[in-house]
Amino acid sequence: MMNQLHGLEQSLPASPLHWKRFRAHFAIVILLLLLPVFVKSIYVIDLLIVCNVWAVFLSSWDLLTGYTGQISFGHSLFIGGGAYTAGFLSFYLHVPFWITIPLGGCVAAILGFGLGLPALRLKGPYLALATFAASAVLHGLSAVFWLYSGGEDGLYGVGPLTRNYFVKYYWSVALMVVCSGFLLFLVNSQYGLILKSIREDESGAEASGINVTKYKLLTFIMSGFLAGVAGAFYGHAQMHVGTDLLSLNLSIMVVLMSVAGGMGTIIGPIVAGYLLILLNEWLRVIEVVRVLIYSFSVVLILLFIPRGIVPTIISIAETLISKIKSPSRS
Amino acid sequence: MDVFLQAESLSKSFGGLHAVSELDFAVDQGEIVGTIGPNGAGKTTLFNLLTGFLQPTTGEATFKGESIIGKKPNQIVDLGISRTFQIVRPFSNMTVLENIMVPLQSPKNRRVNKNRMENQRRAAVLLEQVGLADKMLLLAADLSHGDLKRLEVARSLAATPDLLLLDEPFSGLATKEIAALSDLIKSLNDDGLTIIIIEHKLRELMKLVKRVITLNFGVKIADGTPEDIARNEAVIEAYLGKGGERFVTS
Repeated sequence: MMNQLHGLEQSLPASPLHWKRFRAHFAIVILLLLLPVFVKSIYVIDLLIVCNVWAVFLSSWDLLTGYTGQISFGHSLFIGGGAYTAGFLSFYLHVPFWITIPLGGCVAAILGFGLGLPALRLKGPYLALATFAASAVLHGLSAVFWLYSGGEDGLYGVGPLTRNYFVKYYWSVALMVVCSGFLLFLVNSQYGLILKSIREDESGAEASGINVTKYKLLTFIMSGFLAGVAGAFYGHAQMHVGTDLLSLNLSIMVVLMSVAGGMGTIIGPIVAGYLLILLNEWLRVIEVVRVLIYSFSVVLILLFIPRGIVPTIISIAETLISKIKSPSRS
Repeated sequence: MDVFLQAESLSKSFGGLHAVSELDFAVDQGEIVGTIGPNGAGKTTLFNLLTGFLQPTTGEATFKGESIIGKKPNQIVDLGISRTFQIVRPFSNMTVLENIMVPLQSPKNRRVNKNRMENQRRAAVLLEQVGLADKMLLLAADLSHGDLKRLEVARSLAATPDLLLLDEPFSGLATKEIAALSDLIKSLNDDGLTIIIIEHKLRELMKLVKRVITLNFGVKIADGTPEDIARNEAVIEAYLGKGGERFVTS
């Protein structure tokens, strides 16, 4: 076979999992680890904890929709499912968080499997509606069983992760790094090629010998697990689980932020999550027009950089680098 | 030669429409067979039945002695049947190389090799075989129609088939491209690959195949050598028109 390559060996791309491709990612992680050295405000640290958890919400959605093409408008099903599982176990049974968080992920994974079954038959907007309806069911159940779920108020008094904000921050960084690191590894492996082929053309993937049913279900399960773990972590971090974690609003925010960041990149939705959550908070100083400016910013992003923030920045950077390297061509 | 692929009373109806009706045929290992007929004759439906994209209403089909009825497309690929589509179905936002690496992830291929770099090498060899090696890092979306047709052939070959089904491989190709693809198909068959081709470009097809099955309204109306088919009254009436011999004279 090597003889047949006729020098093509040099043209073959390096493995996408080579560590050099992740230098920027490592730099971001180091920055996140060093932040508490410079930032002493508990308010800002608390905000960054929210950003870190949202990074997992968004990247888990990106695996499902950005990579595999399974349009989900019901990610709150997984987030809320994980959060309420942890909430119930902690509030009623005083189970420690190191058990409730993985269990929250497992329940969300089961919900993912359940939601994945209709996805085998439904596509595009029909699947989006089915996922939306499924998340509404859980929201409805929390209202029906309000005596146990706390209704609209939710459950206050979920066991804390820790009383120390800085320790909580580092745990949230660990959660984000482990989850998004796993996702980056997954999508850059050969498994990622399979997911992308399903997104591009299911029939083409099947004709290539890919068991589309299996991979779709696995993706729903993995996406559900990660979102559920993050939801459970969030419940403990806030010491509260409420219906906001089951709401359509949450699902829509997940979709909006991920699209704004750049679908099918993992890192794009994470970056957009940080930017938009921080923007939303900073705009509180002008509360009257906060929602207006925030919404307008999202519309501008979707309108002018439909590929998303990160792919556009990468594209501009690559163009600039190529121009610097070969100025004579321009 | 062993009977490789066999269909017995294979039928497929869509409501009142009989797309394929009581079809019987067999293909031996190493054969290269053409399938012709007017539009709507049931040719692509036949391919869909043989590859699991459709399930027959009645009838049986076996490949290497094993029934393929009720099996999913990926299971049939695992058995050794691979196909191309009439309308190309590339993974548009993936590179040409990645397109070929997808079938290398099938269970059949993963039993042989799981290493990414080795898979890249295998994909590159296949791309060189179809003349796309210099475009392997381009997105499939940026390829011309002719290149996409070649990409589909390479992708179906990457599934390491024993039987290759080609659905109108020459459609939309220029004369030179048809000649190059014909040479490739011929060499694959010479290497022992069994091939069935649906094609409307009859001159090119008749030069390539040793046997032609003709369908009309889902029914097999003829099965024979290109010369026999060109002279067959039923085929002339249904599809070729008068002077059918012109398709087999060089």
